[in-house]
Amino acid sequence: MKLNTGERWDLIDRISKETVTFGAYRHTLKDAIGELTVKPMTGIPVAIAVMYGFWSVFGSFAGFFTDGFFVRLFDAYWLPWLQEVFPGQGEWLYAIMVDTGGIESGEFVLSSNCLESFGVLTSGLFVAIGVVLPAIIIFYLMLALLEDIGYMPRLAVLLDTVLHRVGLHGYAIVPTILSLGCNVPGVTATRILETKKQRFIMMTLLAIFIPCGAQIGIMQDVVPDLMGWILLYLIIGYFVFGYILNKIVPGKAPEFLIDVPPYRRPLLSNIGKKVGGRVRGFFVVAIPFVLLGCAIVGVLYQLGVIQFLGDTLAPVFVGWFGVPKETAGPLIAAFLRKDLAVAQLSAITMTPYQMITAVVLVSIYFPCVATFAMMLKEGWKELIGSLAVLAVVVFTYGGLIHLIGILLGVA
Amino acid sequence: MAEQSAGGAIYFAILGIVTTAFGLADLLVTASGSEFAYGGILEIPGDIFRGGWGGIILLFAGIFYLSGIRNFDDIHQFAKVVMASILIWVVAGCDIFAMITESIPSSSEETGPWFNTLPDFIAAYAPPYAPAVLLLPFSLVVIYYIRKRASGEEGSGNSS
Amino acid sequence: MKILLMGHPNVGKSVFFNRLTGANVTESNYPGTTVDYTKGWMKIEGGDVEIVDVPGTFSLDPKDRAEEVAVAMLHENRDAKVISVIDASKIERGLYLAMEIIEEGYPMVIALNMRDVAEDKNIVIDADRLERILGIPVVSTVAIAGEGIKELVSRLKEAKPVNVDDIIANAANASDTTGAADAGGAA
Repeated sequence: MKLNTGERWDLIDRISKETVTFGAYRHTLKDAIGELTVKPMTGIPVAIAVMYGFWSVFGSFAGFFTDGFFVRLFDAYWLPWLQEVFPGQGEWLYAIMVDTGGIESGEFVLSSNCLESFGVLTSGLFVAIGVVLPAIIIFYLMLALLEDIGYMPRLAVLLDTVLHRVGLHGYAIVPTILSLGCNVPGVTATRILETKKQRFIMMTLLAIFIPCGAQIGIMQDVVPDLMGWILLYLIIGYFVFGYILNKIVPGKAPEFLIDVPPYRRPLLSNIGKKVGGRVRGFFVVAIPFVLLGCAIVGVLYQLGVIQFLGDTLAPVFVGWFGVPKETAGPLIAAFLRKDLAVAQLSAITMTPYQMITAVVLVSIYFPCVATFAMMLKEGWKELIGSLAVLAVVVFTYGGLIHLIGILLGVA
Repeated sequence: MAEQSAGGAIYFAILGIVTTAFGLADLLVTASGSEFAYGGILEIPGDIFRGGWGGIILLFAGIFYLSGIRNFDDIHQFAKVVMASILIWVVAGCDIFAMITESIPSSSEETGPWFNTLPDFIAAYAPPYAPAVLLLPFSLVVIYYIRKRASGEEGSGNSS
Repeated sequence: MKILLMGHPNVGKSVFFNRLTGANVTESNYPGTTVDYTKGWMKIEGGDVEIVDVPGTFSLDPKDRAEEVAVAMLHENRDAKVISVIDASKIERGLYLAMEIIEEGYPMVIALNMRDVAEDKNIVIDADRLERILGIPVVSTVAIAGEGIKELVSRLKEAKPVNVDDIIANAANASDTTGAADAGGAA
């Protein structure tokens, strides 16, 4: 037999009356602190402090390994050693695996560091292990800690009002924050949103505007001073295009009740398990892609494809986006791994503002192949829609950033 | 109990004023674009991140202390005092973590030793300290009040 | 045999799953960590039992993709047993979903999880009495600390379909007896 909703609640009422006693509800300190973290007046300062802690620890930890040890290891020992022992200096295999080098006054010269050498075994390994690995470890560690303590849903409540403006609700912060680690789980997490419209908006915004942990890690290393501007452009883009998408995509964006769980003491074993799983995933999936991306770009360079693309698209790059035509190479690498693309950008000579534009372009221009595959799994129609939005965004936003630069007199 | 919490209120009022002052000093120093050191123990960082962002957090912590001391026994008010201390712990914790990570690797460029020399390592922990680090020991007093409150609650729970 | 772990979002289904199967499903302190189902195996009294970690759902009337997955999972496994995981501090909402599943004729065991949180909020649940009224095993647990998991497993075999009419009758009887006891006390 089945009951209707009213009958069912009646029955449950009767049962709970028989079995549950509610004692006088006493506010514990935990509850009171929980309230402080969701009320805007006190919650926003707390959120600011949480973000500060996140960045500061992230920077210190990543800097410790990368600048403290890996830069020395790779630039002072690994690169010179490989340049020495790898046979066939100046030939194509040498260029792809170790060092593309440069021509100075007609002579072949070796690169002095691993970001400029572009080789699979030098740049590729340095980016993957020296820069991105420490960044990923600390990022996931902090993320797992925040998750397990129970801070995320509170951030969701706090941001609910703001995110409503872009047709999403506070819970959109969960896929967004997950995407800061890696866009792939972020795309999966969009399933907690109710309507097709919300999922579409969320997925598109993630794929375009949210840089992943690997990319953030490398930015922190190669362009730390410009990081604030790059992130600012991405955040503004996220909200502006979210607002526009909300207006033009048909469908509803219903209210969603957020359940706020109690704060809990995080379990070390659980955090270890989560971080371990993700780092293992990084080794299996990401590192091969970084090396492969490095190899593909290297081969394309040798074949002259990248120079050809750069020359052909020069009007677009130079005229519309205001970046050097050499950015064509990193943009191809960006399809495989965005971290690698940012590393390659850093080796190109350009003004700070061009660098900002170029890094923003690398972030927004195309989801990396893993994210692409995940989006395809969620539905090809949405993927095509997202890509259409993306094409429009890259052109308008890229041009707009250039325009802002011109107006500010820095481009 | 009332007397003791009055003592607590006065203590946190003073701490609140000092914290607010440090927060403002952080922001002013950052705005002026230089560093500021005093008496070999205090050094206010002048960069946007530690001085600016960190300074805002200290300022908030000070305001939390000051707004939490009135009616100190009320759990919601007390929670503000606890939260203020947590904010200081976050900033000071980050400062200390940065000190640790910067003290271990060698500071020389490129080739050379991997690790810092022992004197340099120890020197990295010598004063002057950032404002939040100086506030840290004083903010820890809140733990005593949390303990006291917890035992007080248990006592009343048993008696009822 | 197949066992489905069902309940609201963030009541600890993934924690149960990991405890039961020794697997590594991501557990987080926010709703919606599990948006797809995960399967695992455990041994009960020598036999292999398949456990499914179903995404959280508020009712059998799905509101989002994750909930659709949950409801479809339930309906595709007509012969499965259900462990209904309920947040003890929000028992009424949890019972609503449990009742819906009972009404569809699934044999069930109820895990009243997060007893520690309920205790913090001063909520006391008479699990024995709840068990008598519902006619199915009810076990208090704190899954994250591993409390009550063993008892839950040992009582899985007692899970059986119950008729809603019986529950209604039991609930009425129960209130009669309390009424009588109160009257006796007064007299």
